[in-house]
Amino acid sequence: MPMVVGVVAGVAVAAIAVLIGLFKLMWRVAEPNEALIISGSNHRTEGLEAGMGFRIVTGRGTLVLPGVQAVRKLSLDLNETELHVDCVTHQGIPLKVRGVVIFKVGDDFVSIANAGRRFLDQQKLMSERVHNVFAGHLRSIVGGLTVEDMIRDREKLTGQTRAACGTEMEKLGLIVDSLQIHEIEDPTGYIQNLAMPHAAAVQRDARIAQAEANRLATEAEQQSFARMAQATRDSEILQAGYQAERDKAGAKARQAGPLADAAARQEVVVQETRVAELEAHRREQQLQADVRKPADAKAYEKRTLAEAERDARISGAEAKARETELAAAAEATRVKTAASAEAEATKARGTAVAASTRATGEAEAAAAQARGLAEAAAAKAKGLAEAEAIKARAAALAENQEAVVAQQLAENWPEIVKAGASAFGNVDNMVVLNGADGMADMLAKALTMGGTGLGLARQLLASMNQNGQSPNGTSLNGVTVPPPAQKVPVQE
Amino acid sequence: MDDAAMVGLMGRVTGTIGPGLVGEVIVRVRGGAEHFLAYPASGTDRIERGTVVMVVEYLPPRTVYVQAAYDS
Repeated sequence: MPMVVGVVAGVAVAAIAVLIGLFKLMWRVAEPNEALIISGSNHRTEGLEAGMGFRIVTGRGTLVLPGVQAVRKLSLDLNETELHVDCVTHQGIPLKVRGVVIFKVGDDFVSIANAGRRFLDQQKLMSERVHNVFAGHLRSIVGGLTVEDMIRDREKLTGQTRAACGTEMEKLGLIVDSLQIHEIEDPTGYIQNLAMPHAAAVQRDARIAQAEANRLATEAEQQSFARMAQATRDSEILQAGYQAERDKAGAKARQAGPLADAAARQEVVVQETRVAELEAHRREQQLQADVRKPADAKAYEKRTLAEAERDARISGAEAKARETELAAAAEATRVKTAASAEAEATKARGTAVAASTRATGEAEAAAAQARGLAEAAAAKAKGLAEAEAIKARAAALAENQEAVVAQQLAENWPEIVKAGASAFGNVDNMVVLNGADGMADMLAKALTMGGTGLGLARQLLASMNQNGQSPNGTSLNGVTVPPPAQKVPVQE
Repeated sequence: MDDAAMVGLMGRVTGTIGPGLVGEVIVRVRGGAEHFLAYPASGTDRIERGTVVMVVEYLPPRTVYVQAAYDS
């Protein structure tokens, strides 16, 4: 019995297990992120119109007949596709756009049906398909935009994206959750240049702000420093003032004793000074009386004496001068008198001398006359004798003229030669061209001329006589020259 | 859930709706919020972002025609 019960129980358990296994095989549950697409039975067309041929189950379980119905899962998860597109903008600027498209299968049955029909076996390739679709569309979208729009006007970009892709994705049963442009590569530097003015302005503003902030900070700092310095100064001044007061008080206290001493000493000194002054005054007075007055008196005495002496000496000198003057006058008178006496004496003496001279002269004249007469007589006698001689010579000449002349020449030869030589005596310089012979020759000529001509001889003789007798003081005509007057010495 | 369920729902404009534009509205539906491509129900309206709109027509799968929920 119990064995039967156990078998029955085991069978029941097995049956239950089998049932559970069958149920597990037939019951499929759609997870939240997937849709079950069940095809093969036509009896339930939930969610779709008739004629679809399959049904779509989302979010719940459903019973599937294995072998009769086919169950496929369509992921409703999010997909994303990277986009790398070379585009040209509306302005013709080439750009490389990198973006991402995030899309999913739409949640409504129509979208699921559309997507299921298109992608059920190619769910892995969905991204690629979408990439192709979007690459083309993105080119056209970017071509309709400018760079500025792309950068700044995201609304426009998404609007354009929706316009270009929305309906197309609708056909595919997909919805685009997001289209994001990650990066715009700009080989021409357009964007950078576009940004540059703004960047520069921002930099400028930043620098201005920085400088302003620095300035304000510095101002505040410096004001703070100044206030600190001011406070320090005030404090130091106050401290110094207090210190000075303290020092002053201390010094005053320290000096109080010496000050009192000094004051006392000052009093003493003042009194002493006064005493000394009085002493000096007294001494001065005494000196006045003792020294100065006698000195003055002595000086006065001396001065008076000196003046008196001087006056006496002047008077003496004047007297002496007067005396000398009078003496000189007396001397002059005496000399004058003596001179006049002398003059008188001289005059008398001269007169006497003249008288004696005249007497002498007269006596001499008489003597000379007598002597002249005697000489004249002698000369007459001599002349007569000579005349006799010449007469005799003439007579002789008449007889033998040549011999006489020769005789005469011979007698007077030295005289002749002397005369001839004297012809040259007056010549200062004589140049004789043919030397000593010429001289002799000339003399010979001059002398022989006497031999040749008697006239010449006479002339020579006459000149010889003239020259020969001139030292005797008698001329040819025999006039005697009176002797020079004898000077009578006058005694001074 | 059928098509009629969409009509009359309120939504918010997330992309400007207007003539020549493809707008976008986000509508609470199926326990979540989904966005749909939106066109103005009356041809010349322009509905800015943030405006509350009401779906007046639903064209599956993802297109709605809307009009402003409140007179502005």
